Amino acid sequence: MQRKLIRIICLILMIVSFIAYIAKAPAFPIASENLLPWSAWFFIFALANIILWQSVVKLLSFSLMVIWFYAFAASIIPETSTATVDIGNLERTPEAFIDAGQIIFNGKGKCNTCHTLDTSAPPGRCPDLTDVGTRAATRQPGVTAKEYLIESAYEPHKFLVPGYGNIMPPVWKPPISLSELEIETVIAFLQSQGGEVDLTPFEPPIDIGSAEASVEVLPPLLTGDVERGQRVFVEGAKCIACHAVAGIEQPAGQTLDDGVEVVAAPDLTEIAALNSLRYIEESILVPNAQIVSGYGSVTVKTGGATIQGTLVTQDNEKIVVRVKDAAGNEEERTILLSELDPEPIEELADLKGKGYFWIQVTLADTGATVSGDLVEENDENITLQVGEEPQTVSKSDVKVQATLIDFDENVIVGELVSENEDEITLIVDGEEQTTDKFDIDEGPTYSRAFGKRLAVTSPMPNNFPLLLSVSDMSNLLAFLASLTGATDATVAEGTEETAE
Amino acid sequence: MYLTKHSSMNQSKNRLYLFLGLLAIYLLLTVATVFAQDVTDTEYRPFPKIGSRSAAWIAAQLHLLFGSFILGVPMFAVVIEFVGMKTKDKRYDKMAQEFIKLCMGAFSTTALMGGVLVFILIWCYPKVMNKMTGIFGPTMIFYVFLFFGETFTLYLYSYGWDRMQGRVSKLWHLFLGVLLNIFGTAIMFVSNAWLTYQTSPAIMGPKPEHKAIPLHDESGQFIGTLWQAVNNYTWMPVNIHRLIGNVAFGGAIVGAYAAFRFLAAKTQEDKAHYDWMGYTGNFIALCGLIPLPFAGYWLGREIYMFNQTMGINMMGSLFSWLFIIQAVMIGVLFIGANYYLWSGMTRIAGGEIYTRFRPYMIAIIVLSIAIWMTPRTLILSPKEIAAMGGPNHPLVGLFGLMTAKNTVVNIIILTTFLSFLFYRRSGKTPTVGWGKAGNIIIAAIFGSAVAAIVTIGIVGFKVATGFRVNVLTPVQVLIALAVMILVAAIDLVMYRKAMRSSEINWGQMTDRSQYVLILLAITFTSLMGLMGYARSGLREAWHIFGVMPDTSPDAYTPLLADAVNVIAIIIVIFFALVGFIFWLGLWGDKKKEGPPPVEAEASTGDD
Repeated sequence: MQRKLIRIICLILMIVSFIAYIAKAPAFPIASENLLPWSAWFFIFALANIILWQSVVKLLSFSLMVIWFYAFAASIIPETSTATVDIGNLERTPEAFIDAGQIIFNGKGKCNTCHTLDTSAPPGRCPDLTDVGTRAATRQPGVTAKEYLIESAYEPHKFLVPGYGNIMPPVWKPPISLSELEIETVIAFLQSQGGEVDLTPFEPPIDIGSAEASVEVLPPLLTGDVERGQRVFVEGAKCIACHAVAGIEQPAGQTLDDGVEVVAAPDLTEIAALNSLRYIEESILVPNAQIVSGYGSVTVKTGGATIQGTLVTQDNEKIVVRVKDAAGNEEERTILLSELDPEPIEELADLKGKGYFWIQVTLADTGATVSGDLVEENDENITLQVGEEPQTVSKSDVKVQATLIDFDENVIVGELVSENEDEITLIVDGEEQTTDKFDIDEGPTYSRAFGKRLAVTSPMPNNFPLLLSVSDMSNLLAFLASLTGATDATVAEGTEETAE
Repeated sequence: MYLTKHSSMNQSKNRLYLFLGLLAIYLLLTVATVFAQDVTDTEYRPFPKIGSRSAAWIAAQLHLLFGSFILGVPMFAVVIEFVGMKTKDKRYDKMAQEFIKLCMGAFSTTALMGGVLVFILIWCYPKVMNKMTGIFGPTMIFYVFLFFGETFTLYLYSYGWDRMQGRVSKLWHLFLGVLLNIFGTAIMFVSNAWLTYQTSPAIMGPKPEHKAIPLHDESGQFIGTLWQAVNNYTWMPVNIHRLIGNVAFGGAIVGAYAAFRFLAAKTQEDKAHYDWMGYTGNFIALCGLIPLPFAGYWLGREIYMFNQTMGINMMGSLFSWLFIIQAVMIGVLFIGANYYLWSGMTRIAGGEIYTRFRPYMIAIIVLSIAIWMTPRTLILSPKEIAAMGGPNHPLVGLFGLMTAKNTVVNIIILTTFLSFLFYRRSGKTPTVGWGKAGNIIIAAIFGSAVAAIVTIGIVGFKVATGFRVNVLTPVQVLIALAVMILVAAIDLVMYRKAMRSSEINWGQMTDRSQYVLILLAITFTSLMGLMGYARSGLREAWHIFGVMPDTSPDAYTPLLADAVNVIAIIIVIFFALVGFIFWLGLWGDKKKEGPPPVEAEASTGDD
């Protein structure tokens, strides 16, 4: 009887622990979010049932154990999700806010598109937020960390971290459209990055409801004429060929002079509502200064082939490039970063900050290779992130590879041993080879490093400002400053036409 | 005593009915408020409690599993009936009939689940269903006709079994079985068109690029024909993959049923019968399992060709770890199937001579599966990437490439084939004069084939992807297939008049081996659930990829850890229902046999 009772209890506990595990119930007996205890309980009771019972229950226990095993194995592996979070019934506790804020940061808020939380990660388009919970208090004198985070979330243009542009969109506006509570959770999550979470309710600096209804009108800072500026936009500089503005007809199949290709460029209907005049001005004068995600031009090599197109997305694993074939059809190609061809990097200067760089150098004394993401580079040294520590290597300690072509068109590539005015000595295939400089047709060219790079540039012509006169520029700016996305009669009419 | 027990059982049943009734009322009251809402003009309607996606997911997967059951088992039954007719062994006929009877119960459950699924889809996703019916309306009418055809053929096939036993009648009966399978397969093909269209709404362009030609204009308007929508990019690969998968699934379920009956059997005669049934089920499952990776590879390739980003998401990004779990499951399937074959040799005197090869074969399979499980790319932090010296490990990273995986898949398949060969030869001695030479030739064929497959695999690292995918991998597959055909042919001739040193002692199997059969069935089912999640998840936040975005609250890909829990729930429900259907079959049979003798009832143990 006692044995029977034990078996029945074991059976019930096995079923209960299985359901609790699947339902992700808090762990028993100590409340915790760690699911392992329920797994352990289930494992113990399933094993006990397999030993204690015969026939049907044994079989049931075995079957449940197999089902559990696959679920358990899959639940302990790393992965990402694109989940949103339901904050309707969110408890006002730091833990709940931090968890929800983290999901929104990586999901709906799309904050992780530009911000990183890892100092060793390749530089993002916006500041790294490691320890922002404490560092935020140091940004502006007299502004607490929380006040700074609130300001940054609602009015990101008010203070810009040196070195970064005004590119953060208002997250409470479409398409991101975070609610006040969602913004609050993200702030809590950012506070938890090295700081203390303060859930004291606060008054948002912007009333989202009324702000959405009202029209933001920029002050008339410019002396230019809007109508003339529109003519420059449409006819003079032909910006309309690439940039759409609601209410202005975009010519189909238009070609530009000077061999400039027509490409998809950001819609400027609301440009003045989304960005400062400084940003607009900078975008015209220095097109490469800030590149809107999904519109950057990139050239990469993979498998020996060169691919040129628009960078659609980029993460630590892959890039998606939109390319055009000869017939003008567009298609998106995904390329793993690991598949980018390593290239000799002849010039190491000014590499930092232009995109993703992975660099490998070979030390002259030991022959060992050092590789990692580029942290810093100057005339004398290269600093690479190797493991968790940055490693600085003097350029004079790095092997140099030289490439030269003789008059017989033989390409000679080797490690540089010595060089004087008359001859150059290289180690080619393990043997020293000296070449008279008189016999060299091209070269020598030198490279200290191999690497993979992803430099993103704007497809907008770099000489664009030179194409405009001062008055055209002024008029164009005035026109762009008027593009707030609403109220203007022309734009409104145009929108209706488009809708029809 | 019997009456007392009978009365007690009635009381228990009454309590159960009362409980179920109360539960039903509770559920109705819970959901009534939600269904009472006026949401006639909406894109989505929430399903109460568990959400629309989970509801549709559970209903769809259960429908699919039962669908596979009622497709796989008739395939199994027709083959077995045919074997029974050719060998004049009544056991085969009896077994086939037994399973068709079980199919009847499963058939209504499949239809029930299909109905539930349709209601959920219409309720929760009206706009999606509107779009889909707008494109596929005529196929849905065709589907209904096929369904009627399948239903009546199944009735005829099942109820006519005993009457159609004459020589000519049997042939007609077999024809009915084949017809049943044709209807079943056609139904699967039609419904596959709908779901594959959601994944790949494009047709294949002309050779050699086979570029995907979209079937929608920029506004999402359908611009193709019905046939183009049906014959979309991934339709045929999914059809073939599922067809073969159903054969394997049917065999595995039969094996599990036999294992259960074997473990519960009280007499040696029953054990022998169910041991033989388990062996036959496993054999059919193996026949399906062996070509399944090839079909899966073809499907994967078509997905890559349709949309490279989708392909990379599948194998190298969002779902990369899912395929590691898939490799674990396939590893379990192959190791389990081999283990069962090796266990089977113990019931044949003379089979022990092959035991010396086992350690090597285990080592080869385990090593191959380890390579298969090696991921190509992982979601790594920049620190992890830096620590590893790049996104791929310098040595082990090579195993993550498809050329390594394709190589080991072929080797696993050849090793499994070798296990089967040993099993077939157990207890037999060839009488042909060239027996020794034959063995040398077979060994040479195996050796050279493995060398060739490995060499091609190594070359695959150094050639362009296109050449590897289009030339090298098919050559590897052809080599493996050629070995199996050639060796089987030689072996058949060699052992045609072989001397039997002993008969197969059916029933003399360990209980452990029966648990392996159950393990195989659960693993097959879990694998189907997992791949269902992958196939559907590949669309990411699209109802129809690139055409109709999912704007519901479920417009995100759930974590694998969450998905497997849903899959686990589905598997538990499925096996509970299958167990119920099996129990119904047994119950009906017992009723026919009459009430058990009082002594037997009294002596029944408590477990």
